[in-house]
Amino acid sequence: MSNADALGAPKPQPANGGIGIANLPNQLHKIVTKKGTNFSLMAVGESGTGKTTFINTLLTTELIEPIDDATRRKKQLDKTVDINIHKAELEEKMFSVKLNVVDTPGFGDYVDNNDCWLPVVDFIENQYEQYLRQEQQPVRKGIVDMRVHACLYFIRPNGHTLKPLDVRAMKAIGARVNLIPVIAKADTLSPAALRQFKKRVMDVIDAQNIRVYQPPVDSEDEHSTQRNKEIVAAMPFAIIGSDQEVKTEDGRRVKGRQYPWGVAEVENDQHCDFKKLRSLLIRTHMLDLISTTEEIHYDKYRTTQMKTRKFGEPKPRKADNKKFRDEEEALRKRFTEKVKLEENRFRQWEQKLIAERDRLNKDLEQEHNLVKQLESEIEAIQNSGSPNTKFFRK
Amino acid sequence: MAPSAPSINSVGSSRMATPRPSSYRHKSEKRGMTYNIMLVGQSGLGRRTFLNTLCEREVVPPPEAPNPETAHIADPMKFDTYEVTLEEEGTRISLTVIDTPGFGDGLDNTGCFKQLQDYIEAQFDEVLVEESRIKRNRRYRDHRIHALIYFIAPTGHSLRELDIELMRRLGEYVNILPVIGRADTLTVEELAVFKQNITRDLEYYKLPVYNFCWDDSDTEALEENREIMGLMPFSVVTCDEVLDNEYGSVRVRRYPWGTIEIDDESQCDFALLRYILLNSHIADMINFTEDVLYENYRTRKLEVGGFGEAEDDEEQDDEQDAAAGKSQE
Repeated sequence: MSNADALGAPKPQPANGGIGIANLPNQLHKIVTKKGTNFSLMAVGESGTGKTTFINTLLTTELIEPIDDATRRKKQLDKTVDINIHKAELEEKMFSVKLNVVDTPGFGDYVDNNDCWLPVVDFIENQYEQYLRQEQQPVRKGIVDMRVHACLYFIRPNGHTLKPLDVRAMKAIGARVNLIPVIAKADTLSPAALRQFKKRVMDVIDAQNIRVYQPPVDSEDEHSTQRNKEIVAAMPFAIIGSDQEVKTEDGRRVKGRQYPWGVAEVENDQHCDFKKLRSLLIRTHMLDLISTTEEIHYDKYRTTQMKTRKFGEPKPRKADNKKFRDEEEALRKRFTEKVKLEENRFRQWEQKLIAERDRLNKDLEQEHNLVKQLESEIEAIQNSGSPNTKFFRK
Repeated sequence: MAPSAPSINSVGSSRMATPRPSSYRHKSEKRGMTYNIMLVGQSGLGRRTFLNTLCEREVVPPPEAPNPETAHIADPMKFDTYEVTLEEEGTRISLTVIDTPGFGDGLDNTGCFKQLQDYIEAQFDEVLVEESRIKRNRRYRDHRIHALIYFIAPTGHSLRELDIELMRRLGEYVNILPVIGRADTLTVEELAVFKQNITRDLEYYKLPVYNFCWDDSDTEALEENREIMGLMPFSVVTCDEVLDNEYGSVRVRRYPWGTIEIDDESQCDFALLRYILLNSHIADMINFTEDVLYENYRTRKLEVGGFGEAEDDEEQDDEQDAAAGKSQE
């Protein structure tokens, strides 16, 4: 008689009188493996910072197609920030992940970039709102959870420090979601310049109180703790993205970028921090990203909303993007003007009717007076004349 | 036959692609040719290092460390002037370079264009005033901008709104040479695609960049110029350090995966750009500015009217001294 149960796992023997609750993690493991999970990642940054390439490199598949010229040209003068969502389902060793990648074309690309982070922040909060509302429904099966678990902010390496746009945007985003700053196209900085830039970025983040994601460092085994320490020390991550395989000088085939003067390898820790970031996002800290989103960020949102709103009430709309506000103002003005015009028209019509009515009333009164006069004449004649001759007068 | 830049090692060679015209004013052997260049571009694209590499010495000191407390406030755009005397193939050039830190770095950059336009127009106005004086100042220093080098960010895609607006607005006042800053971030294929996209955008938006073929009188030079136009925008990589190897000293930029030689034409267009700017086309640039751009401006300005002649000579001398004092900074 075997000790294994139907699924092949060994049946735990309660040792020394235990009842078997130590088996719970195994059960949980089975449940989770069957259910799969949901992961939403957002990529924010100016165009040309390598967001699309990075996502495709991370997932080793072309999830996001590069934009073609005609669309890009139209977008150049569009002056708006779009939110594009790409969905994919990844499966590895019987475990499936429903992945959502949110892209933000138009961010920081224009001459006037004021408030360009507002669509991003609104999107994040809307996902919390949707989830909140679904939670409050009587039937809670089949909730769609699009809450963003991690937001990668792509910093263009200008060799000095963060731009005011980066500071303002990161402050707004970091307060609502797990923010991971990333130095894009890091192959343009020499190692010394890169170190200096990283330090300067972290200085600004500290001085400006920007909240970035802090992965937990301590874990059960020494090796993981060491690895986590290295990851934290490397923040913000400098990355190079490439979805092409090239050959290095010593003949290896690697994912990298081929220059006339050498090959910059994506998965080489000496060249960039891609492996560390991938580890953070997927291999080691994905669960932490999901749980901190749910337990900290979403909860904060929920608390602030529930304090001011009653159960089931819709969310009050606050002032939007400045450009939309301007449009709204213009529309409102046009509307009021039109209403005024119509009102005037009606008033004139009303006055005409009143005049008409008065005229008719006057006529009526005249007629009425005439009738009265005739009546009184008749009465006079009736009274004055003899009773016999009353009705024979012609 | 494209002009090849003299490499640092071969000091003795001297090639002139286009003969220099010998007749235009302000050429004084002692002081050198007056040449004014402006560098425009967002911070981080290598403007300052470009200037240092161009003059082969440290003209611009490294910037001081930025204050993290004020990182959320954008610095307004300012004009920094640097004066260098260069010796290029026997000719002295009295080079003035105007750097514009702060361009495009704020949240809302619509004001930057007007500032640049006003600055350039002010130089034209000075010349206009000077020309119409009864008694001209023989020591007059021409501050008109002869070339504007615009640094495009190496996104790898195409031009952005900032680039388009700048070239559109300033193209009629100054010769614009678009260059790709930090071009070492692009691979060979990406660079080719990027250049193609930019050229297409330049045509599509009809952006007035400097046309090398404006003078079609010299057919041999025209052929060369056409080739140069084909290479626009120029890719620029700037020098970090100077290495000494067995061939002499080489200007390089070092990465863990390789070393770039700045002056090697197969790796970037810096050497070519330097040669064009300071040797072969210096006369073309100056001539185009004086004969075409300035004349157009003058015609427009005088047609509109309202530009009276200066009455008081003394008052003007004071003005002139103030302007001269400013340029010595």
